[in-house]
Amino acid sequence: MEHVLIVDDDVGLCELLAERLRADGFALEAVHDGNSGLERALSRDHALVVLDLMLPGLSGLDVLRSLRTQSQMPVLILTARGEDIDRILGLEIGADDYLPKPFNPRELIARIRAILRRTTRPEMPASPLIVGALRLDPALREAWLRESRLDLTSVEFALLETFLRNAGRIQSRDSLTETVLGRRAGPFDRAIDVHVSNLRKKLSAAQEGEWIKAVRGNGYLFAARGGDR
Amino acid sequence: MDQGGAGEWLLVCRAGRRSMKLIARSLFLRIFLWFWMTVILTGIALVLAFMLQRGPIPSRWNGMLNNTARYSGTIAIAEMDHGGVPAVSSYIEQLEREGHLQACLFDSSGSAIAGQHCAGFQDMARRVMGGKTPVLRMRFGIMRAAMMLTGSDGRGYIFATELPWGPRAAFGANHFSFLTEWGVALLVSGCICYLLTRYLTAPILRLREASQQLAAGNLSSRAAPEMARRRDELGELIGDFNGMASRIEQLVIGQRQLIGDISHELRSPLARLNVALDLVREGRSSDLAVDHMERDLECLDEMIGRLLTIARLDASSAPIQFTAVNLGDLISQIVRDAEFESRKREIQIRLSAGEEYWIEGNPELLHSAIENVIRNAIYYTQTGTSVEVRIESSGTPPALLVQLIVRDHGPGIPESELVHIFRPFYRVTESRDRQSGGAGLGLAIAERVVRLHHGTIRAENAAPHGLQVEIALPLVHE
Repeated sequence: MEHVLIVDDDVGLCELLAERLRADGFALEAVHDGNSGLERALSRDHALVVLDLMLPGLSGLDVLRSLRTQSQMPVLILTARGEDIDRILGLEIGADDYLPKPFNPRELIARIRAILRRTTRPEMPASPLIVGALRLDPALREAWLRESRLDLTSVEFALLETFLRNAGRIQSRDSLTETVLGRRAGPFDRAIDVHVSNLRKKLSAAQEGEWIKAVRGNGYLFAARGGDR
Repeated sequence: MDQGGAGEWLLVCRAGRRSMKLIARSLFLRIFLWFWMTVILTGIALVLAFMLQRGPIPSRWNGMLNNTARYSGTIAIAEMDHGGVPAVSSYIEQLEREGHLQACLFDSSGSAIAGQHCAGFQDMARRVMGGKTPVLRMRFGIMRAAMMLTGSDGRGYIFATELPWGPRAAFGANHFSFLTEWGVALLVSGCICYLLTRYLTAPILRLREASQQLAAGNLSSRAAPEMARRRDELGELIGDFNGMASRIEQLVIGQRQLIGDISHELRSPLARLNVALDLVREGRSSDLAVDHMERDLECLDEMIGRLLTIARLDASSAPIQFTAVNLGDLISQIVRDAEFESRKREIQIRLSAGEEYWIEGNPELLHSAIENVIRNAIYYTQTGTSVEVRIESSGTPPALLVQLIVRDHGPGIPESELVHIFRPFYRVTESRDRQSGGAGLGLAIAERVVRLHHGTIRAENAAPHGLQVEIALPLVHE
């Protein structure tokens, strides 16, 4: 039984979702405001947080921001349809994925599964990957750039791992979305681009130049840097 | 053939035609040119009227005019005596050159001796020969004189000349000074016309700019407010335009907000319905899901019904039937219906009403408005407290009012929020209490209905806590 936390002020919706998710093997705990949501999310009792951005008190984005300073716990945000700015902002702050409301519960379950599959993946005890100055240890879920450890969310870690395994090969946005987010990219879906941009920012701290190049025609290319020094 | 040059020329022509069109269309230029033309034409007409005047010459001038002519004539004849025709001719040429005056010397039989414009003086010479007296005449705005003079040898001559008198002389004999005088006149009149035109058209141009911006979607644009201070029709027009723009802006912003709120509010029941439907579809149907679906459908139905009411009230194009309504009856009926529900939460409704209160209105709309206010009070008042409903008449005889006061013992509303509570979908806290169904529309409907009945509605906090809503409606006086 996976424990999932939902932070949403719609009591009725939480009730129904708890019932629906129980059938698929998830134990859903619901809280209805931002402050207690943050408190419960930091308790480490759950595998994942489903966070509505429209919350009374502390807003969803504020909850996410505070959470990310202390924890890399996977977060799926619920956004209102049409409010793209919130969605992009949420992904930039470090949400793993988003789902516009109203949603199909099966879609929610699929997204939760995809995120959990990525974060708990014990079946592949892979050896560390080393490309240039980057070192990534899938078993320990750690990534190092020279001597400094990178603080990556689970999506960013998965993204970097995919890039390292395919260094020098162009990765299309669609295939990245499928391998990293575990779902098909929708039309006008910029989620993968936001994650790539977040990862770029974390890699650029070392001033090595560009690790990830955008390739015209919807793709990204990972180029090894700083290996010979 | 230089093709490029021809093309350029064509372009210049087109540009020229376009600017001509612009000039023809510009109100500024049109008014300016009309004013200026009017001023110039009036001036010219005045001068022409003088010039073409053929009236008698005032007799008091005759002596002086004759003396002047006689003086020139005497010199001309002296020249004739001494130097003959060439000397006279050169004297007459000198007159023309320096004084800009034409002259002619005839012999006593009336045939010209010297002068280049003698034909014009012929008829005057003939008259002098007939009457032996000097002749004065105005021609083309300048005075002419002709007279019989006798030379030293006793020969008779007739001398005819223009004199520097008359309207044309006013232009100055000198062409240069004529041009400067007229130039100054044109410039001054042009300046005055320009200022006048600008005074008239500047507000129109400002208005046009503002309306273009408004049409382009910039709803906050206003015509220069300093122009609105002008106390003429144009100033008033600008004031009116700005008023209109404000109203449009308000309405559009309100509508945008409403649409945003509606879509947001519809989303919550839809999200719940989606999940409940999925539960049923998966065969794990439970009473919970079905109950939720039923409640959400009711909620959607109620919300849409209320929205339609608001739309109908806002449109206010369809005529709404008014009849005489006894507000007292209406309210006691609403209170009776509400008591059924309030008893469950141990809430008492205290109604204090006097005689009958007849007003002119639509019973259905008034019922829903007042019911919304009372149910809102029941909803927010604390369990075990009471809701007070009071009806009283107020105002002075020509403008009698009936006042309905509904007071609850709930948490009240922050002072700064009081003005917003009649806005559709307004909720004091962002917390959306989904169980309350169409809450957030009731007071908005009440406000619109009261406004439609020419009444006022306002809300204030009561001491120590609670909200008090006051509705005032005009009473019908028999």
